[in-house]
Amino acid sequence: MVSALWILALGLGGAFGLGLVPRGRGDLAFALMLGALGAMLLVALGWLAVMAGGAAPVLITTAAAPAPFAISLHIGLPEAVLVTTVLIAGALGALALRGALLRLGRGAMAVLLVLMMALSGLILTRDIFNLFVFFELISIATAGLVLLSPDPRALAAGFKYLVIGQIVSILLLIGIVFTYHANGALGLDHIAATAPGVAGAGLAMFLLLIALVVELKPFPANGWALDIYESAHPGFSALFSAGSGTAAVFALAKVAAVAGPAWAPLLTGLGLLSFLGAGLLALRQTNDRRLLGYSSVGQLGLVLAVIGQGDVLGEATAFIAGGILLAHAAAKAGLFWLSALVPGRGLGDWAALRRRPILVLAFASFIAMLIGLPPFPGFYAKWELAQALVAHGRMPVLGSVLFGSLLEAAFLFRWFGRAMKAESAEVPSANPIDTAIVLAALAAGWGLGALWGALSGLSNVLTTIPVLFALAFVALEPLPARIKNVIAILGLVGWFVLRLPDYDPLRLIFAIVMLPGGAVILLASFTEGGRRLGFYPPAMLMYAGMALLLDAVTTFQFFAAWELLTLGSYFLILRGQRSEPHAQSYILFSLGGAFALLAGFALAGQGALDLRLDALSDIPVTIAPWVFVLLALGFMTKTAAMGLHIWLPGAHAEAETDVSPMVSGVLLKAGLYGIVILLSELGRQRLMGVDLVNMLAWIGALSAFIGAVLAVFQEDAKRLLAYSSISQMGYALFGLALFSHLGWLLALMFVINHYLYKSMLFLAVGGVYRRTHTKLMYQMGGLITLMPFSFFSVLIGIVAMSGVPPLSGFGGRWIFYNAILGTDLRLPLVMIFLAGPVGFLYLFRLIHTIFLGQLKDPHRQIKEAPFWMLVPQMIYVALLIGFAVLPGMILRRVDTYLGTVFGDHPLIWTGRAVSSEFGHWNPVGIMLVIIGIFVSVGAILLAKVHGAQKVKQFNIVFSAERPYRPETTHFAWNFFAPYRRAVGFLEAPVATRFWGGIGDALTAGAELTRRLYTGNGQLYATQVVLFVLVAWAIIFGGQS
Amino acid sequence: MTPQPGFQWIQILYALATLFVVLNYGLLMTALVQKIAARVSGRHGIPIWQNYVDLVKNFALRSQISHGVMYYMGPIFRLSGGIGLLLFVPTIYGLPWAQNFSFAGDLILALYFVFFGTLGMALGAGESGHPHSAIGVSRGLSQTTAAELPLALAVYAIAVQYHTLNIPQIVAAQQGGIAHWTLITNPLATIAAMFAYVGTMMRAPFDVVLAPQEIPIGPPTEYHSAYMALMQTNRAIFPVAKTVVYMNLFFGGASNWLEFALKVFALYLIPAIIGVVHPRFRVEQSIRFFLKWGLPVGVLAILVV
Repeated sequence: MVSALWILALGLGGAFGLGLVPRGRGDLAFALMLGALGAMLLVALGWLAVMAGGAAPVLITTAAAPAPFAISLHIGLPEAVLVTTVLIAGALGALALRGALLRLGRGAMAVLLVLMMALSGLILTRDIFNLFVFFELISIATAGLVLLSPDPRALAAGFKYLVIGQIVSILLLIGIVFTYHANGALGLDHIAATAPGVAGAGLAMFLLLIALVVELKPFPANGWALDIYESAHPGFSALFSAGSGTAAVFALAKVAAVAGPAWAPLLTGLGLLSFLGAGLLALRQTNDRRLLGYSSVGQLGLVLAVIGQGDVLGEATAFIAGGILLAHAAAKAGLFWLSALVPGRGLGDWAALRRRPILVLAFASFIAMLIGLPPFPGFYAKWELAQALVAHGRMPVLGSVLFGSLLEAAFLFRWFGRAMKAESAEVPSANPIDTAIVLAALAAGWGLGALWGALSGLSNVLTTIPVLFALAFVALEPLPARIKNVIAILGLVGWFVLRLPDYDPLRLIFAIVMLPGGAVILLASFTEGGRRLGFYPPAMLMYAGMALLLDAVTTFQFFAAWELLTLGSYFLILRGQRSEPHAQSYILFSLGGAFALLAGFALAGQGALDLRLDALSDIPVTIAPWVFVLLALGFMTKTAAMGLHIWLPGAHAEAETDVSPMVSGVLLKAGLYGIVILLSELGRQRLMGVDLVNMLAWIGALSAFIGAVLAVFQEDAKRLLAYSSISQMGYALFGLALFSHLGWLLALMFVINHYLYKSMLFLAVGGVYRRTHTKLMYQMGGLITLMPFSFFSVLIGIVAMSGVPPLSGFGGRWIFYNAILGTDLRLPLVMIFLAGPVGFLYLFRLIHTIFLGQLKDPHRQIKEAPFWMLVPQMIYVALLIGFAVLPGMILRRVDTYLGTVFGDHPLIWTGRAVSSEFGHWNPVGIMLVIIGIFVSVGAILLAKVHGAQKVKQFNIVFSAERPYRPETTHFAWNFFAPYRRAVGFLEAPVATRFWGGIGDALTAGAELTRRLYTGNGQLYATQVVLFVLVAWAIIFGGQS
Repeated sequence: MTPQPGFQWIQILYALATLFVVLNYGLLMTALVQKIAARVSGRHGIPIWQNYVDLVKNFALRSQISHGVMYYMGPIFRLSGGIGLLLFVPTIYGLPWAQNFSFAGDLILALYFVFFGTLGMALGAGESGHPHSAIGVSRGLSQTTAAELPLALAVYAIAVQYHTLNIPQIVAAQQGGIAHWTLITNPLATIAAMFAYVGTMMRAPFDVVLAPQEIPIGPPTEYHSAYMALMQTNRAIFPVAKTVVYMNLFFGGASNWLEFALKVFALYLIPAIIGVVHPRFRVEQSIRFFLKWGLPVGVLAILVV
């Protein structure tokens, strides 16, 4: 094996060699530089191969003498990985910088080589003085390379960087001198081995560490670095973040390992401060590269915190820190390179990427990598981090990390959302080399994801069939949408058939709704022509998440599936025309909920990396209530329980026509499934004297009631349906929280019923929207004759939903009454009872204001909804009627199964009739009697009035005048005005104000903190010094 | 558990017989109450057979007008709702031929089937395009949500009390004299339910719902001739059917037709008496009234039972 010293030698040699290339032969110089970088990379790759094969780390001595008499380099697996990463970033970065490098000539190329050499050296060296030397080289090379940018601000930024770099160097140098004084050695291994001999060793180590921390550009002492990110050439910024940042973190990690656990709190504290502060500041950023700069600061802060937690993470530190660091390197480099393709610097300018879908994929992947979403390394890293932190009682650290991640998600998804929705006439650069570099980063990110999945010892998300199936749609994107739709439907049904034997009846209910249920909704997607880019991969990712959720047997599998379905549904929701802010609040609430799950699972695991879901029932009673609370919060975010609901109306209402039923009819059930798992494993829990299951019942009842009241006051048909979902999920939650056989049966019946009628209503309203181009009900009216099928499905939908016999909603009500008669939980019932008739109000409004009343002039020519939109609706109509007459088809099996769970059999099935302790229900009898009466009465009327002609629209008389304008005759706007006058106070947006207040406080904080960054170099220098002084004061409390 | 008797074809004839009795009773009784109300106001009032006259006249009228399918079906829904409510509940306790189709469901069926006719009628009237229909529906539904709430709570309370949702069993539990009636054994539930009863009988002070129909040409806007005949038939049947439910739940039911006639009449008089001496509430006033007075009684009823 070639000595790792060659990495340095090749870099240095190449830099000198460039001097020999004749002036004017830039191409030759460039080739030489690439050759040198390539050779360095080859050596590094060779070492990586060796180390990955399990070889022991190698100590390389120079000058033929052992340390401390000569410099020593150390190469083990971490070094090999990081040097390779940095050099790959360097090689690709050189390609990205090629224009600027060729313009400036061989000098600039030599500087780049020196930078790469110095970064490699920083990683490899075990000598603190060498650290200083390499930092100096990096500092100078950075200042030089910043000048490659055509941006005039780059000069000032480079200068400021040099000035502050010198301050840091002085600190570092003094630290080194003191350390040498204290330990008598400069080699890290020697420092670790020798006890400090003199007083002041603490200060020495402090200076050393703080200088290295400042090298990471921590918040708030980082204005100087941000200016570089913003003004430098993006190719260099990529290197600056992915290369310099990575190397500096590793240098710090080496010293921190030597410094010992006493310094861990300092590192953790500074790391978290940086992670949170940068996240906060980034919320208000409008410049893409500066935003990326903040993100880099934050990510490096996170790694710093992980290093600080090394004492509890132990062996896992490398896996966790490495996962975050490498994902960050790939993502950040990728994003900077991507920014080179985007013409403008505003966040909305990234809309140009939409013209090249592969770049959108890259953009989305990079963001997911940074946030730590599956299947990327950060995801596994965060999981293990959470487990370890919780196991050692470091909840505040975990809380900060998760909150910081949420901030990061907030600004990154805000950016992504804007890019997906903003208008842009610009076209991204189509340069094949620049594109290839971005795609290389993309491939690296996915590859790392697969690798980390394999290394994690947990289940690898990327090897599951549903996820692979979803990812295959990325490759299938060029196909016509209809073909993809067929494949998607076959996939869902096929997976269901495949897994069918393994589902217990309870899972089966959810599986039916999620898989074949999803397939039925996809029938409506046949209305979409063209290729429908960007629809199928996220849609199938969402379904993959749901499929995996049902299969999950461990907490990790469950969580991974949860994140997948969240991510997929976010991208789906974002597709809606005006859905940007709603998709944003959806992803934030969902991730917040997911983090609650993560914390809950970690708490339950108590250090075990992964826990079987059925082992949740065995966790100690002292922590079980807390686990319950965390998990319940996570699941209730998904079911949009009152208080956590504000994302739902917008997200469901603004999604595309066929997406609304997916996210409403299907996706909400994931939350219910979670609550089923939660209750069946954890059972009743009490926290501080409060019965948590009863608490859920209260929340469910409140959601059922307030959701219904809010639905009554909506003018937008899809919003009305969305609020109604909140209400319906409240019912289901209430049913589950009754924690009885019938309560659960009720909830499961709701799962099916809600899927059927809500999907149907969303499709019907979507079909109307497609024809009328409005969702505001008062702008419609009288559509019954033009859209009879849509009317019919809405009619069946509202009859079913309101619980009026004979349709299936009544069965739900019947079971509901039987369930509540056995409970002691009476007060929340009041709200549930209120919610029932209120539901009737909004349903009537839905059908009346759209289909009845007066037809408007602009709608006289419209046609029935598209055929494929009607097909699923008619299937639902058939199912609703079928389910009404023969509820036993499914319910009976579930009933039997619940009997084994709860150990009772409250229902007796005789033929097609059901009876309970309290009453009886004969669905077939009800249906026949009603049909009999209806037909008889109808026959009487028909005998008398037949052949009646339909009169003209305005053939009505009222108030002594003949109306002639539909707008003034159609009573629709503010339909329930009296109701509003009576109970309108319930409409007060308490939750919206609460969450809005938190959001405003954060952005105001960001705005305030932003003022620290004035662009003044002197101020920046002062900030660095103050930062060090404050850290010193905190650590030493004023005594040295 | 209650084993339910199955269906026999003869029940259809029995049901028709019950229907015939109730229809005639309803036509006469509602006319009588109207007459009483008129006398209170110092008017002479309608002849007792006026309802028959109206019904025959309207049914005989020819119509060639329709506003559409839902409009046509509105009265069918309406009348089916009334007949259905009547027939899903046993009319006379212990009288085998007056048990109707109660094998199909229990009290919950009756409670929810009330909405069947309302919904169909509202849809039919809606299709006429007449704004007053929509205004009436809006008012009616708004008021109903609040008015029905005490009933729902009362039903819960007595279902817990008697440990059944089966109407004959509830009636059976009240046999043996007035002291066994729910009125006495569970006065809170009864009072709560009576809030709902008075609130939904379309009499003052809760009858502003009807106002949009009064402005133009006749009761339910735009309906005429045979359409209206069906609805008038329902006006005779539905209040009786509803009163039967209340009678069964709270007032010991009826074990013969005479008791039935007296109890229904007495109950029907309650809203009528309240109605003649009260002005109208606006809808929001009604809603607040029920939330302020009806709801607390209902809540007390479910808490103490």
